[in-house]
Amino acid sequence: MVTEAWMVSEVLKVVPDAIIEASDLHGSGDHFHVRVTSKSYDGVRPLQRQKPILNHFKPYISQNIVHALDLKCMTPEQAASTLDTAFDPHSEKKTEFFGVHIRRESKE
Amino acid sequence: MSFNWTPEELQEIVDNNPIVLFMKGTPEQPRCGFSNRAAMVLGQLEDKWASVDVTSDPRAIPSICAWSDFPTMPQIYVNGELIGGSDIAMEMYESGELQKMILESNSE
Repeated sequence: MVTEAWMVSEVLKVVPDAIIEASDLHGSGDHFHVRVTSKSYDGVRPLQRQKPILNHFKPYISQNIVHALDLKCMTPEQAASTLDTAFDPHSEKKTEFFGVHIRRESKE
Repeated sequence: MSFNWTPEELQEIVDNNPIVLFMKGTPEQPRCGFSNRAAMVLGQLEDKWASVDVTSDPRAIPSICAWSDFPTMPQIYVNGELIGGSDIAMEMYESGELQKMILESNSE
């Protein structure tokens, strides 16, 4: 079990200039939605944005410390026009793509 | 004939099917919320797609993740190329990029 703050600090190691928000989707410390906003994502394809982060988390994912990692890697322009909702994989509402409201502890 | 999840066999699946979803469960009975989301995104498309249930064999997930160098499920392939997981599929569907990519691959 890990915390939102730990997730943020780990992602920061990979994308040092990023604004990062981690949401523990169920309070279980293993399903996370993480949004990462960085200028460095300009002109980078979605998979290439995620790859360095996923590679960093590989040992935690393979040991099932982090069971689910839903990533949203955005440029500052994309972040400005993106809603504050995240997908909840265990939501009852199967027809809804989105479910959980992002908790914002500190607004940058 | 047995299927052994070798890189060659996996490559054959994505080479022979323009759109492939490796998922936990089936589109009718998904066993993971993220796999369900990926199946729902692909279900919005007009194109046919193939799905592979990675829970059907304990060798499947480690074999696929090693072959693709991508640590999580689901995984979506368009024209043999990994586009990412359900977060990227959703993002690319919403932006229209996914439809564009499939359209371009159809016309090749």
